[in-house]
Amino acid sequence: MNALQKTALQIVLGSAGMLLVAWPAVAHHAFAAEFDIKKPVKLQGAVTGMDWINPHAWIHLDVKAPDGKLVSWMVEGGSPNVMLRRGFTKKSLLPGTEIIVEGYQAKSGENRANGANITFKDGKRLFLGGSNPDDPTREVK
Amino acid sequence: MSHRFLIVIVAFLFVSAVLAGQTKPATPAPKSNWTHPKTPWGDPDIQGIWPGTEMIGTPMQRTASAGEREVLTDSEFLQREAQRKAEAEFDSSEFVTDALRCDPKRGGLGNTPDTCANGVSIGPPLYWQDRGTPNKQASLVVDPPNGRIPPLTPEAQKLAAERAAARRGHGPADSWEDRSAWERCLTRGAIGFLPTGYNNGNEILQAPGYVVIRIEMIHEVRIVPLDGRPHAGAGIRSYNGDSRGHWDGNTLVVETTNFNDKATVNNTPLSSSARLIERFTRVAADTLNYEVTVDDPMTWTRPWKIAFPLKRDPSYKLFEYACHEGNLFMVDALQGARAEEKGGK
Repeated sequence: MNALQKTALQIVLGSAGMLLVAWPAVAHHAFAAEFDIKKPVKLQGAVTGMDWINPHAWIHLDVKAPDGKLVSWMVEGGSPNVMLRRGFTKKSLLPGTEIIVEGYQAKSGENRANGANITFKDGKRLFLGGSNPDDPTREVK
Repeated sequence: MSHRFLIVIVAFLFVSAVLAGQTKPATPAPKSNWTHPKTPWGDPDIQGIWPGTEMIGTPMQRTASAGEREVLTDSEFLQREAQRKAEAEFDSSEFVTDALRCDPKRGGLGNTPDTCANGVSIGPPLYWQDRGTPNKQASLVVDPPNGRIPPLTPEAQKLAAERAAARRGHGPADSWEDRSAWERCLTRGAIGFLPTGYNNGNEILQAPGYVVIRIEMIHEVRIVPLDGRPHAGAGIRSYNGDSRGHWDGNTLVVETTNFNDKATVNNTPLSSSARLIERFTRVAADTLNYEVTVDDPMTWTRPWKIAFPLKRDPSYKLFEYACHEGNLFMVDALQGARAEEKGGK
């Protein structure tokens, strides 16, 4: 990376808002109309299944409530095509896998949430982009 | 052995062509031995999967300061490359680091108290999105020469003001009609080839007398007759309009009319007299130049044009789009608005 490239990268990283600007304009739907910023959730539970459907996949998981009962939740995922092209397969999230979801509950109060951050128990992210065929960093990994 | 020898020759020719292209970046496509393929019935063959993914990140319009410059400067291009590199780093981070957490104090979309709490954004993770390949094209709009969509006519401005007035007093989801046609799984707009965040697959199929254009996002399909028949009667109107095509040399020209008053371009509804003229020109085995002229004198003060290349990707698979089946957004938005009403908001 030469000095000019480095400066350009610093400009971009220094204003990370730019990265987020690109997203809401192109999403299929407005998340703020669906989920409630005042209802943050941190769900830990075991995956029970997954719906590979457009426009967005859904991950099903059972979360243990304080009283020991299992409560079923659905977490919204990306479009199946993006996930498949990034290397995510039906084996990536097998039933029984423990995940932690940080997101927001649906405004309706249903047990549905967005998954802003989905991680395994060791903190590793669920969907890594490293296998994206378009990813220029793939070669050096 | 002879096959291997042939492969070496072909590889040499390919590398030579690439090098020739590199030494003269300003010239059009480098000369090659490629000849335009034909279908068995003699039409130019433009069949295949032509995703728009590579053009993600190229803005629709130019900033006013860019003037009539169609190509980025070196420093602007480096910035676009740096942006892409930063996105790739965010996408492929192994752990959720501080850099991946939002900050309501930072400002800008996604970083406000309404969209971010405790470092967690209400928006989807960035790695849900497909990413483009940085290019030097300043904007998707290429005409007018300043790369900007021309102003609306006074009549169209009046209609826009009336729509805004009708919206006033409505909540975000009083009815399903308060949500966009895209959110309702109806259509993303009259120009389906425009690059978007994901599901950019476009497929072209040909049969004698017909071309089929299939857009992955929300599954929009047009079957375009090429036999010179007239457009449907003026009373027949639809979101995707009524398309007729013909060949101009090796270029497929598709003219679309009969849009309903809900078909949009850049979020502006087209008028009943709107015409879209698309031109598809295959300039290499893997490159299809796409152009669309928006001719709607009732809506814009002059015709304007979008143009960009599409890259062939036979490995790209279009995933079934039963949009309503998976679209829990509508349920959540409508139920959520009702729950908020009960809560006294």
